[in-house]
Formats: sequence, C-alpha cells, structure tokens
Amino acid sequence: MNAIDDQSSDWASRVLASLAPLRETAARSSVTLSEVAADDLAAINDAAARLTDIIALNNSEARHDRLNLIGAIKGYAEMLYEDRDQLHPAIVTSLEPLLAAVQAQTATESQQATFNNSDEEPGFILAVDDAPENRDLISRLLGKAGHTVITAESGQEALDLLETQAVDMVLLDLMMPGIGGAEVLTFMKSDERLRATPVIMISGRQDMDQIVACIQAGADDYLLKPFNPVLLQARISAGIERKRWHDREERYREQLERSERFIRATFGRYLSDDIVKEILENPEGLKLGGDLREVTIMMSDIRGFTSLSESLPPEQVVALLNRYLGRMTEIILDYRGTIDEFLGDAVLAVFGAPRSEGNDAQRAADCALAMQAAMAEINAANVADGLPELEMAIALNTGKVVAGNIGSERRSKYGFVGHEMNVTSRIEDVTGAGEILISDNTRQHLSKDYETGESRSVSAKGIGEQLVVYPLIGGAT
Amino acid sequence: MTTHAPSDNRSGPILLVEDNEVNRDMLIRRLKRAGFAVIWAGDGEEALAQMRQHQPSLVLLDINLPIKDGWQTCKEAREDADLRHIPIVALTAHAMDSDRLAALEAGFDDYATKPIDFPELVAKIQGFLNA
Repeated sequence: MNAIDDQSSDWASRVLASLAPLRETAARSSVTLSEVAADDLAAINDAAARLTDIIALNNSEARHDRLNLIGAIKGYAEMLYEDRDQLHPAIVTSLEPLLAAVQAQTATESQQATFNNSDEEPGFILAVDDAPENRDLISRLLGKAGHTVITAESGQEALDLLETQAVDMVLLDLMMPGIGGAEVLTFMKSDERLRATPVIMISGRQDMDQIVACIQAGADDYLLKPFNPVLLQARISAGIERKRWHDREERYREQLERSERFIRATFGRYLSDDIVKEILENPEGLKLGGDLREVTIMMSDIRGFTSLSESLPPEQVVALLNRYLGRMTEIILDYRGTIDEFLGDAVLAVFGAPRSEGNDAQRAADCALAMQAAMAEINAANVADGLPELEMAIALNTGKVVAGNIGSERRSKYGFVGHEMNVTSRIEDVTGAGEILISDNTRQHLSKDYETGESRSVSAKGIGEQLVVYPLIGGAT
Repeated sequence: MTTHAPSDNRSGPILLVEDNEVNRDMLIRRLKRAGFAVIWAGDGEEALAQMRQHQPSLVLLDINLPIKDGWQTCKEAREDADLRHIPIVALTAHAMDSDRLAALEAGFDDYATKPIDFPELVAKIQGFLNA
C-alpha cells in the first residue's frame, strides 16, 4: 500500500507542477476567458490548493482524497479541452502539460492492473456492434487490459475485416441491422480458416432464445448487455486461451504431418500403403533405432540377366526391367512384404518388418509362388514386344536380423543386416531358373499343406555350415 | 473526445453519491454538460432516501462514504424491492482486480476507477440506459 501511496503523491506533485503554464497564461491580460472556462479554471485552482495541503500526508484516507482531487483536476482540464474551439489558443497550449500529467498516471495505473492480471496474453480482438457507445466501451475496456481491438459497426464490415485480419476472437452483437450476428457466426463456422476463432455473442436478456441457438451453432459464449467488465475480461481471456490452444494443436498437427510425410517418404517406396498406415496409426510399434527380429527374407533375380543385358540395346534392358520389377513390386506389396532394395534385376524383400503379422513365412511363400506364376504373363508381353523371355530364381530364408534405419544422419534407409541375410544370398546362388528354394527354417514355419520337393544340401561358402534347402513347388490349397 | 447525448428511453436522473465536494462538483458539471440530468447525495443514508424519492435511472456510488459506506448502501438497495432494479456503478479508488470483483460480488452492476475515465463512464451509463 505504501508504494501506491508514494505513487499517488508523486503523481499529485507532477500534476501541480504541470499547472504552472496554465496559471501563467490565464493571468495574462491579453487572454480572456469565457464564463464557463473561467469557472473550470477556478475549480482547478481550488482543487490544486486542496491537493497541495494534503500532498505530504501518508495514510489511506489521504490517498483517497488525493485521487479525488486529481480526478477533479483531470475532469475540469478535460472539460476545458473539450471546449478548446472557444478557448484562446495560448490556453489550449498551456493545458497540454496538465492533460499529459493527469492522463499519464491513469495509463500507468491501468498497466499495473493489467500486470496484476498476471499471465493473461494480449489478444487481437474484433468487436462487432452497431451501437457506437458499445464499440467505444469494449475498445476502452479491452485496450486497457492490453488487447488490440478493431471494431466493425455492421455484419458486412465484420465479414470484410475477417477476410483480411487474423483475429484471436470475435465479440459479436446479436441484433444488428442488415447482416446480423447469427449470420456472421454461421459464415465463420462454415469457413475453414475462421471456424476455430472463438466467438462471444453479445445481446440483451430478452434475446436468450437466439443466444441458445447461436451457442448451438458454434458460438463459444455469450455476454449480456450491459457488460459486466470482469465477465467480459474473463471470457476474453478464456477465448484467447482457447484460440492459443487451438493454434498450438495446429502446430503439433503440422509437425505430425511433417513426420508422417517423412515416414511415408522413408517407407512408401518399400511398403504397402496398408503397412505405412498401420505404422502411422501405431507409431510406438515401430522402433526406428533398430531391433533384432525374426523375418522371412526373400531374394530374387533373373537368371542370366547380366549376360542378357550385355547383348541387348539399353532401352530394351530398361523396358524389360521396368515391366518385370513393376509387376514384382506390385505382388510383393500385395503380400505386404517390405522391399528393401532393387539391385539391377535382383530384389531383396523382407516379410515381418517393420512389423510381424505372425504368418510372415507363409506370406513370403505365397508371394514367391505368385511371382513365379506371374512370369508367364510377363514373358507373353515380352514376346509380343519382341523381347526375350526371362527366368527367375527366388530364395527364402527365415531367421533373426537387425532391422532399422541404417546409415548416417544425412542419408539413412530402413534396412536389414545379419548372418541370415548372407545365408539367403547363398541359397539364391544355388537356386535354379524358375525355381523357389526355401531354407529348412522357412519350411518349419509353413504348414504341411505346402508342397516341397526333395531336400538339398548347400555348402555355404564362407559360412562354414551345411544348409538344408527345399524347392517350394506349390502352396496351400 | 466525444460527448454522448443521454438516451430518453429511461426516465429519471442520474444519482451521484460522492462526499468529496470538489470531485462531486466536477462530475455533476461534466455529466450535465454531457446532457444528463443529475441529482446528488453526500452520504449513503441520503443516497437511499434520494433513490426512494426520485427513482433515478442509475446510481454512481462512491465506496468511501460517511455515515453509511458504499458497500452497505448497495446492499440495502439490493434488499429493497423498490430499489433493487436500479443499476448501481461503484466509484472506487482501488485499481486492484480483487476489489473490482468484490464490488461486483457485493451487488454493484459495474465499477469505475478513480480518477474517472469520463468517456468510459459515459459509455457505461449509456450501456445501462439503453439496455
């Protein structure tokens, strides 16, 4: 309280000091005053004399008196100024320091009030009301609280302003001639950009039915005339807070969309849309850091493609590859395999990563059979185009690999490493044209319905073990 | 700075209750110049008597009053079936929001902080008279 007392007595001193030019000017014989102006000036002098008497007193009674007297001086000074057209120009000029002194503290005090209002964020507010005194009042009240207010005197003007101004909230009078508040509200709620902007309806008590309709139509709140300033402030704060939350949410959503785009860009080429969607919906199921998981690995290539490509013109090689790889990609994605890599005519795909479906080996086997079956169709098209027929070999193996984003910060890809990858590659080496060879591990994951041929033993060079493999002949029927 | 003509859809003068005569004279003069009919009282007891006699359209009530302060005066007006409809605006020297809230909870319809921002006060008065 003492701090405030000190302020009001400092203020009183400043006001008294600022009176000097006015008194000097009024005392000049060349300056004549109207009767009304003379009365006002006399009242100012009277109040100033009283203020001088109590300026040094320091108790709350004195503070109250000081504010009353400053208020009186302010009032008379403002009245004089209102009549400035009828005043001697010298009086108007010398009135200015006084006006500045009485009004300066008003601003400071209201800034304190705003400051006391703690963490309120200032907002950009559109007030729509056809009554000028209401627009004026709202501007003053909200301006004092630190908000920026723009006003519109009609629904049409409001709509025009909303087109160009990004406001935090709208105070909307219900009853206006022409386009009414309800219509402005309806427009805002139907507009993508304006939908989230909070709207507070203003109306008289008698329009309660329409207020209810507006709330149902999406208005956030309402205020009855005459305004209760504290309620107005509270609703404005709540509305701005709501808008800020919405904006924050929007930002998070954008961030999410960006990371979604990243995931799509990273996986989209390798994964079926279903899997990408599943990853996005269940992001915690996907560990990008790398994890050890059991997958079924598929490697396929076209037998003799290297020598074939050397004997064909480049555009024919590309045409052959694109038709072949395009069809294989479709089939692999159909069986929800993850394509890890194309290497010339070779395809490396994995079933069971980034997420397992429990029947990964089975899907890989079905996929391999479908791929071999599709070769007839591809070759028919090749023959029709005067291109050579192709023969494909596919190897399947099941085991644990490390799956994850492999590479550096700048360039990484979702990939797989581990011993079982090398094993698969060995199997692929010994797979014949038109054949599917599966490792014993893969076979154990398949039901008895899958038809396999005689087992073979593969000596895996550099791996130091004998592998048992089976030709996959037919699927489960 | 503009002055506002009073609306005539509410009859009855504005009652200003203020014990500080300097401030009271200023406000009376200023309200009259703005076109309002004004009567006044210097304390809470007199204010209630004036309200009963003249049925003002609105009361501007200082809080620090002799005999009966603004809180008590407002409370009694609210308990009086003949007076409770009359809007009462507190004139307070307290800028703190807690005090403003207290004023509203005590039954005041609005408040104005001293020194009075006159255009704002007129806007508030208009708001009540046009409501």
